[in-house]
Amino acid sequence: MSNVNAVTFTIVVVLFLVVTLTGFAAARWRRAEDMLHLNEWGLGGRGFGTFVAWFLLGGDLYTAYTFIAVPAAMFGAGAVTGYFAVAYTIIVFPIALIFLPRLWSIARVHHYVTPADFIRGRYGSRGLALAIAFTGILALMPYIALQLVGIQAVLTVMGVGTTSGNTFVEDLPLFIAFLVLAIFTYVSGLRAPALIAFIKDALVYVMIIVAVLYLPTKVGGWGHIFSTAEAHMKTINPATHKPTGVFVPTTGNSQLAFSTLALGSALALMVYPHAVTAVLSTKRRDIIKRNMALLPLYSIMLGFIALLGYVALTDKVTAANVKKANNPQLAVPYLFQHLFPSWFTGIAFSAIVIGALVPAAIMAIAAANLFTRNIFKEFFKPDASPRLETRVSQWVSLIVKVGALVFAVSLPKTFSINLQLLGGIWILQTFPAIVFGLFTRWFHRYALLAGWLAGMLYGTIAAYNVSTPTASHWGGSVNTLWGHTYYIGLTAVILNLAVSAVLTLVLRVTRVPAGTDETSQPQYSADPVDTPPPAPAAAVLGSDVSGGDLP
Amino acid sequence: MTQPSDKPRHSGGSRSPIAAHPVLSAVIAILIFASIFFAVWVPLYASATPKIGDFPFFYAYLLIYMPVLGIVMWIVITLQARLRPRAGTKRTAGADGGEVTR
Repeated sequence: MSNVNAVTFTIVVVLFLVVTLTGFAAARWRRAEDMLHLNEWGLGGRGFGTFVAWFLLGGDLYTAYTFIAVPAAMFGAGAVTGYFAVAYTIIVFPIALIFLPRLWSIARVHHYVTPADFIRGRYGSRGLALAIAFTGILALMPYIALQLVGIQAVLTVMGVGTTSGNTFVEDLPLFIAFLVLAIFTYVSGLRAPALIAFIKDALVYVMIIVAVLYLPTKVGGWGHIFSTAEAHMKTINPATHKPTGVFVPTTGNSQLAFSTLALGSALALMVYPHAVTAVLSTKRRDIIKRNMALLPLYSIMLGFIALLGYVALTDKVTAANVKKANNPQLAVPYLFQHLFPSWFTGIAFSAIVIGALVPAAIMAIAAANLFTRNIFKEFFKPDASPRLETRVSQWVSLIVKVGALVFAVSLPKTFSINLQLLGGIWILQTFPAIVFGLFTRWFHRYALLAGWLAGMLYGTIAAYNVSTPTASHWGGSVNTLWGHTYYIGLTAVILNLAVSAVLTLVLRVTRVPAGTDETSQPQYSADPVDTPPPAPAAAVLGSDVSGGDLP
Repeated sequence: MTQPSDKPRHSGGSRSPIAAHPVLSAVIAILIFASIFFAVWVPLYASATPKIGDFPFFYAYLLIYMPVLGIVMWIVITLQARLRPRAGTKRTAGADGGEVTR
């Protein structure tokens, strides 16, 4: 801890303490009569309005991925692997507008807490719901891990904990940050990230506005930044004998990679369980819609943050630092440290750390809800009371975080944007069942299950086989098929759909039972005004005696 | 998939909002589809020139897209609201599980 800047360090610690206190205090915010209910702990009482939802969704969707991984990818390889994220955050809103209001309505009418609850009700299939729940938990692990990598990047640049050779001591600050996150999530549930999101966004906005206005002038203006980046991307990488990166995707394959990455990520984002959690926590149907128009404001920020990768490339000291550390994830933290005064570096670093904690908390809650509702209650304890459900969720949220920690420590460090893309490959396989299921019951439940399996197997194997000069496996998220380069997630989901469609025809001809559908068409556009009674989804489980066990 | 998010609100009797407002529904569908298409179709904007300020066209295009998207989404939502003039005042469809049609 010899080269730690005292001012920066103090500011980060103080802001971290403020956030911690807020996290615990959140338990009292909009306090419900009985906090030991999944509607409360896991969905914040389902009562958030447009304003809170904007912060919560923003805090949910713009993560360490945005602040660390995207600029790192821009720094390392330019437009295709980095700037696609801007196109992705454009596409996501019109797509979400098509199906999210329907998901909100049906979940409100039937008191669904998780996307797998919906699958259970729509297809009457425990197996399919289990597959969806399992995929959700699996896909969230690397996404939470990505948040950890983000925190780690900041801590490394701050000089905290890097001096020891011991892994445990080295990562101790990360463990502490994570432990605190785990505890306040346990106590306050979704209210904690919702409240902290306000602090996060204030810090992030300040950081970005200052960074975008101030930093380019320090390194010679945007014109110089772009020409430096263009020249850099054209230089031949000695390891691969190919250009370092792509400045503007002009070849067919780079355009295809760019488009499929953007489209695939956009399709994936809103079926992520944590996105669904935030959506279901809102009070009215229109709030979701309004946010689809308001959230693009956030994405403008993302565009500029991505470009900070090029700013880092232009700043010689930062570029040299990153090269020495051999870790592009450090590009933005090093840039801030070099060009900002130390007090503002402290604020910017806090913004990144808190910006990683908020989504990590929501993701852990979403994964915990999936486990409790669709695995624990469904298969092990069908008569679980709401109280027990909440207790289980609280504990699982802790376990999920440990799992993410394993991901973060064990996968290659150059992997961070791929962590998100890998999660995307998996979660995309739930897209046909969830999103098509919101519009049609045409697909057969077993066909969807088979399609899911095909997509999961193909996607995982294909991603495992991607190698780079530095990593033999898990090296990326695009591969080449018949001479064209695609995002694996998108090809896998197309395979998934094809299998589902063909098998549906077969199963229909052979008259295999399609399962009971507990939903009806009008319910998909319903907008119940009243907060649903705090009864668990009685309709989901026939054996459940609804709410009778509440005091 | 590409239809606007609001399917018929009433299962029987009155005409569905989409059938009642074909032009409005088409406009909504086109706006949603267009806002996806113009971002996905990279060849449209994958060019370093013309520069907008200091920004190569490719980079400027997507940055400018964002506020435009916000406005388009707002228009879509406003139009969708006109498809259902009585939204919120009528009984909430199916909330009590009363009409289970399949």
